[in-house]
Amino acid sequence: MTATMVSVQQRLGARRILGLSPLTWVLVVVGLVLVPLVRVLTSSTPLTATTTFTAAILSTAPIALAALGGVWAERAGVVNIGLEGQMLLGTWGAAYFNWYYGPWVGLLGGVLLGVVGGLLHAIATITFGVDQIVSGVAVNIIAAGAVDFLSKAFFSQITPNGGPRNLSGLYSLPTVNVGGLDTWLSKLNGRHWFLVSDVAGLVGSLISHVSVVSLLVIALAVLSWWLLRRTTFGLRLRSCGENPAAAESLGVNVYRYKYVAVLVSGGFAGLGGAFLTTVASSTFTVGQTQGRGYIGLAAMIFGNWNPFGALGASALFGYADALRLRSASSLHALLLLLAIGLLLLTVWRLLRRQLRSAAVNGVIGVAFLLWFLLTDSIPKDLGGMTPYLVTLLVLSLASQNLRMPAADGKPYRKGSAG
Amino acid sequence: MRTVSKIVAMGLIASVALTACGTKHDNTKASGTSDVCTGFKSGTSVKLAIAFDVGGRGDHSFNDAAYVGAEKAVKDLGASCIDAQATQGESDPQRADRLKQLAEQGATAIVGVGFLYSNAVNTIAPQYPKVHFLVVDGFDPDKTVNKNVAYDSFQPQESSFLVGVAAALKTKAKKVGFIGAVPGAVIGPFQAGFTAGVHTVDPSIKVDAQYIVQSGDKGFADPTDAKTIAQTMLDNGDDVIFHAAGLSGSGLFEAVAAAGAGKWAIGVDSDQYTAVPKNQAAHILTSALKRVDTGVYDFAASVKAGSPQTSYVTYDLKNNGVGVAYSGGFIDSYKSRIDGYAKQIEDGTIKVPTDPSKVK
Repeated sequence: MTATMVSVQQRLGARRILGLSPLTWVLVVVGLVLVPLVRVLTSSTPLTATTTFTAAILSTAPIALAALGGVWAERAGVVNIGLEGQMLLGTWGAAYFNWYYGPWVGLLGGVLLGVVGGLLHAIATITFGVDQIVSGVAVNIIAAGAVDFLSKAFFSQITPNGGPRNLSGLYSLPTVNVGGLDTWLSKLNGRHWFLVSDVAGLVGSLISHVSVVSLLVIALAVLSWWLLRRTTFGLRLRSCGENPAAAESLGVNVYRYKYVAVLVSGGFAGLGGAFLTTVASSTFTVGQTQGRGYIGLAAMIFGNWNPFGALGASALFGYADALRLRSASSLHALLLLLAIGLLLLTVWRLLRRQLRSAAVNGVIGVAFLLWFLLTDSIPKDLGGMTPYLVTLLVLSLASQNLRMPAADGKPYRKGSAG
Repeated sequence: MRTVSKIVAMGLIASVALTACGTKHDNTKASGTSDVCTGFKSGTSVKLAIAFDVGGRGDHSFNDAAYVGAEKAVKDLGASCIDAQATQGESDPQRADRLKQLAEQGATAIVGVGFLYSNAVNTIAPQYPKVHFLVVDGFDPDKTVNKNVAYDSFQPQESSFLVGVAAALKTKAKKVGFIGAVPGAVIGPFQAGFTAGVHTVDPSIKVDAQYIVQSGDKGFADPTDAKTIAQTMLDNGDDVIFHAAGLSGSGLFEAVAAAGAGKWAIGVDSDQYTAVPKNQAAHILTSALKRVDTGVYDFAASVKAGSPQTSYVTYDLKNNGVGVAYSGGFIDSYKSRIDGYAKQIEDGTIKVPTDPSKVK
């Protein structure tokens, strides 16, 4: 088993930096130059304004937490469709504990309820070998019902802030202003210098008046990557997702690792829910996640089951979403960005003699360029879905070498190693 | 199984630890009203059933206004009451099912809160000819007249016009904002009236209007997105922002309260000054009242009196169906001017537009 794993790692891991392929890194760097370029060309300043990035961070964090949760579970070979439900439970847990015990306990409460959702999924899929998709869907349905019931039972009596489906006026968590550079950076951002102002906007959003929980998300991504990639514990956990029979034959307690992974997964999703109720707003409402768990699942796949990939893909979703809310007119500039990106990708594919994908990229790229040149704005009715369209397109074209864990989604029974 | 029991034990310990520490919310007292919609009692004059809209009770806005009406009907008319909550993204058959269940439980008067119930009521009402229905903001979707259905037709553009006047008098930046849940026949009049009111006072004031979603019901229960939009408007320099988005409004109030003194929000439907936390109330300039409570109460009273409302019932400034809230005293000094405009609307001198695309 070690021999296979080593060869797999040599094939896939050697060229990768932080688990991301060279193409992904090229895209990241090109993106850093392209976005400012498009900003200058179309003079739509919101593209890289500090405030846009700040909103993007708020949009990104819940998706990223769900995606990280997905990485944990699927790395151990358990598909966790239940992320959405665990996140929902997290919104309620955060609201309840926040209301009665303060913001920090609220955060923990969100995690706790998420873990409970994860436990449900773990018992069904690991102990009883239930089909993972079926169990995940069940978790989502149970969670939706449970949150409905719990909020009716616990929040109805709270006046005037509560109601059977809502609770507003929750405590908020502190923000930090690292180094006190906020005014200086936002001034720099306001100058609209090529690249400099844009980077200032990004950095400014990351260090000035940023919620501690947002920073925690980045820390958790790093921690997840380190745990999964650089420790014995992580190696064993991943072996359960690649070849559980082999892992068990070498003395790894597969069930235990899968349990840990799924519980951590639920906890991450629950924290994502807590973020929605206590950081992104201070209001709980039933059904607050609105599909963010599923988007997280998609981000995890596009992120190639890697914590940093998942974070990056979530950031792309979050950025596009923030742009939709903050400046619908800038979405039009996004078309040009997309067109240039796709045409550059075409060149890259041509150089590598991947003619078919070059043709596909080229055609779509030209189509977007024409769309940009021939119109002045995106129709309002389309505006709502443009971010998702753009993100999906970018990600599906950029990430064509995805590899899921080999035993992902397959129920494993103890003793299969024979 | 040892692992499982260990994990369960850990979970239990964690929950005990969580409940052991921390401070209580300073606002936890379940003071005041307890739920009145707890079930039908035999012998009560009207058996009132309220089917709430997305956002639901506790939105401090549209749905809570309906609940206040039910409360009053229980107290003053001796009615008894049950309620049911809607979830997001429902289809008409799901809403029809809810109404059917309420009818089967013995309701004599059923209120569908929100225009989304129009189609559902249209299917269910003929099946229960002895039950009386009311759809708030509703409309009859076909040509067959439903004899047992009433539609409350509010004129929110009139109250929106007046809060627009207040906003125009209050703004220092000469920039105001409007956040709507979803474009269309229900929220459009709010925007149209507000814009017209602002421009009547000062045509140079810029009105920045944005909708949370372009279709569907999500916009009524999305405080997160509303907060981001409000933040954008504040960053752009708007200093008075009016919302017509139900529960989502709480996101606006959070953003405005965080932005500090001199920034104002205008509430909608209920008097929102009285319903939000203290730090936010200090920023609620006024509210465009839409007396859904009056609508619900009048309907219950008409059922009790034996002459139930049918067809369209209009609620406007003239019969106090819509209005302006003065709680907090932030616009007391403008009262005479607002009353002046109100009079002109009532006697028809000012015709308030309902279509935002036709307002300059």
